Amino acid sequence: MKKIEKETVNLKVNGRQYQLTIEPWLTLDEVLREQLDLIGTKRVCGIGECGACTVLVDGKLTLACSTLAVSVRDKDILTIEGLAEDGLHPIQQAFVDCGAIQCGFCTPGMILTAKALLDENPKPTRDEVKEYLAGNLCRCTGYVKIVDAVMAAAEAISKGGE
Amino acid sequence: MGQEFAVIGKRITQKDTPIKAVGAARYGGDIKLPGMLIGKVLRSPYPHAKIKRIDKSKAEKVPGVEAVITLEDTPKILYASSFRDQPMAGSGSLQRADEYILADKARYVGDAVAAVAAVNERVAEEALQLIEVEYEELPFATNPKDAMKPGMAKLHDYAENNVAIRVTYPLAQGDVEKGFKESDVVVEETFSVTKQSSGHLETQTTIASIDRIGKVTCYSPCQLAFPLRRELAKIFNLPEGMINVVSPFVGGSFGARLSVYNEPIAIMLAMKAHKPVKIEYSMEENFTCVHTRTGDEYTVKMGYKKDGTLHAMHIKITTWAGAYLGRAQLAGGIMLFWGLGHYRCPNTAGECEVVYCNTTPSAAMRGYGNPEVMWGVEQVVDMAAEKLGIDPLEIRAKNYKKAGEPSNMGLPIESTYQEDCVRAGAESIGWREKWGKKKEGTKRRGVGMATMTHCSGAYPLLIEHSGAIIKFNEDGSASLIINPGSPGTHIWGTLSQIAAEELGIYPEDFHIVTGETDKTLFDLGSHASRSTYVTGTAVMLAAREAKEQLLKRAGKVMGVSPDELEIKNRRVYVKATPEKGMTVEEVVRGAMWDVKGEATNIAGKASFAATAVSPPTAAYFAEVEVDTETGEVKVLKFISVMDCGTVVNPMTVEGQCEGGIQQGLGYALTEDFFVNKETGALESDNWNTYKMASSADMPETEIILINKPDPKGPFGAKGVSEPGLVGVAPAIANAIYDAVGVRITTLPITPEKVWKALREKKS
Repeated sequence: MKKIEKETVNLKVNGRQYQLTIEPWLTLDEVLREQLDLIGTKRVCGIGECGACTVLVDGKLTLACSTLAVSVRDKDILTIEGLAEDGLHPIQQAFVDCGAIQCGFCTPGMILTAKALLDENPKPTRDEVKEYLAGNLCRCTGYVKIVDAVMAAAEAISKGGE
Repeated sequence: MGQEFAVIGKRITQKDTPIKAVGAARYGGDIKLPGMLIGKVLRSPYPHAKIKRIDKSKAEKVPGVEAVITLEDTPKILYASSFRDQPMAGSGSLQRADEYILADKARYVGDAVAAVAAVNERVAEEALQLIEVEYEELPFATNPKDAMKPGMAKLHDYAENNVAIRVTYPLAQGDVEKGFKESDVVVEETFSVTKQSSGHLETQTTIASIDRIGKVTCYSPCQLAFPLRRELAKIFNLPEGMINVVSPFVGGSFGARLSVYNEPIAIMLAMKAHKPVKIEYSMEENFTCVHTRTGDEYTVKMGYKKDGTLHAMHIKITTWAGAYLGRAQLAGGIMLFWGLGHYRCPNTAGECEVVYCNTTPSAAMRGYGNPEVMWGVEQVVDMAAEKLGIDPLEIRAKNYKKAGEPSNMGLPIESTYQEDCVRAGAESIGWREKWGKKKEGTKRRGVGMATMTHCSGAYPLLIEHSGAIIKFNEDGSASLIINPGSPGTHIWGTLSQIAAEELGIYPEDFHIVTGETDKTLFDLGSHASRSTYVTGTAVMLAAREAKEQLLKRAGKVMGVSPDELEIKNRRVYVKATPEKGMTVEEVVRGAMWDVKGEATNIAGKASFAATAVSPPTAAYFAEVEVDTETGEVKVLKFISVMDCGTVVNPMTVEGQCEGGIQQGLGYALTEDFFVNKETGALESDNWNTYKMASSADMPETEIILINKPDPKGPFGAKGVSEPGLVGVAPAIANAIYDAVGVRITTLPITPEKVWKALREKKS
């Protein structure tokens, strides 16, 4: 029986380089969580339906549960832990201030999705925010204050010139 | 009360929120213990089968497998996943114990048959495949009707025709038969409600660890840590003190985590392997095995006088319990309390039969029977109003209970502002302008409403007991030692505000110490919307005791009587001459580090058992648009008006209401429990098949808070978390009727049902 060899890959996560030797079938969320203890990215549905595993790869929204870790070698991976070196990114601050976080489980995925939105569209309407976040499920908040937070973050970022 | 509060009523963020924002909060699945093994459960592929033989020898030989268990390896003690001896005030134990740690017989697809602990997930899964189980299939039923048919196999030996229990409404009044005869209008209708999944994102995860002297540490997301500890103690024949239940951050609960799930299996594996074991459910296991909201079919009969006075009411329920009783035993019966106890009515009666069938067990989900029963009751009220030619607001106004009248729990209502709720919501939605108007066009709009009464804790039905300790640090901050759970409702922030208000300091001055039964006083936990009301009062009383000690010490230092002192903005001062004072920090530092032989700690401790009933009330208003060509229903606007006493934190309370609308929306329109009739397997077992509302599905929402105080709640506060959901579905159903004249009586309201009803109406 043919044995599948482990692969050695360079993963660049939150600006840091890691060299890992891993099975090629491991998904990105498994590697982030188990090998690098970056537990902010959540494992939930495993089928790309809920958005809780959302990370950014080269700035693009990516579902870590449905992405093989070896397939993102040498790319820029951003997880929730990498959003702010110290303190809180304006989006994180807005989530905190607007009451957009209850149990917090959907929060990392929501915040990264919000970042991708605001990078693409710095002045979205409420409806545009609601549409953009439709791939991130939340059971606690009803999304109302999450949308408030993204709108507040958009304003804070445009004022702060970030 | 009319007083100005220092911190009550402020929109303050709970202290731990930034931890969640940066992804640093550790939930069960994020915790790693040294040497930890991964546990996996072998589940029955059959809905009903005898287990003839299990051979685990091959599995045990797989390298990396450190324990394999079957029923024979476990203490064969029957327990109730919903805590058998959860003390009921007065009536002793009600919950029947009907399950073992691992199934003696497979009773649903997903029933736990064996378990493995191994070095990683893949080895554990490989070992599971090698466990050989010989099943003998039995006839099965995937709904209560089929389960009750004569000749259907019994799931549990004691339950004839699979009826677990029959309950009669204990608070029945008058004579319903006579009452209906005396009524001018009688409406009777049958309704059904579906087994809604809690839909929490974090799957059920438990870690069990046994130390060298046999003490068990159990990490569990269970909302009721002390009852869990007690049940585990019973199962494993250990004194309660030999079990420490640790609560990590929890990714949502909504009532699902009130029950025992994988804790006993994890503990058993850890005992056998002599290493910590983590069992993390997959999302499919979560949908299949975590208890859902109870499903029911029931008939509501209401008799009214010509002027709209409610005269007689009867409810008869068949409750869908699933394979094990879970909390369905109480969930069915409690519907009678909610449904028959909301309006004033001189003649009431009700019955409920709870039925086993071969599906996921039913239990408690947010509202615990109240959303289920008000779905029907609030529609029958509208039907009666139509027959009488009265507006839905008017017919309800005739029958709201007042403070002092018996509540749904029996004891007198401490406060109710139901009418304020209705008035505010009706005005905001534009009821006068929109309801009952002639509708035209293919897309038609309508408005509908619903009301309800819930509870702030469940006394006298259930025990109400919480404890709190406040202990000061020399910097003037204090540890707030509590254990209400952390399902995500921001209760710690609310309790910090209550403590700060009592003490004259600030919410951020509190360090929350929580989440271990070893460390905290007894607290029943989070359920029945009790935490603000009961734990809140315990916190207030503990703060009061700590304040007494602060004033006593400060009085001694300043040479005045404690009665002359007050605390405000972290400063203890003489009321008559405020410039004379000292900071809280100075008082504590001086006390803690006193060198003159008079050192003392400054701390307060309190236990509180609620014996009053302060039910929250609410009104819900929906505006919908129905497409008569497709049957699709769009909720345009939803207004929830909440009477939860004094609002401690408006941001938190709004969050509970907004979340309740999302859950109610799904309950009303899209969430359903699909079981394959041929195989008995659950088909709605992940987010692609179980549809809950996304941000794009949410209507425009408005939350109105009445904010009038209750005489007994801490600073006048009542509960609110469950009420956020209770009346959402019937408001939508009533709005659909206003829009297009069809009434849907079964949940969820799918476009197919509406379309079909419209066609039938035409013909």
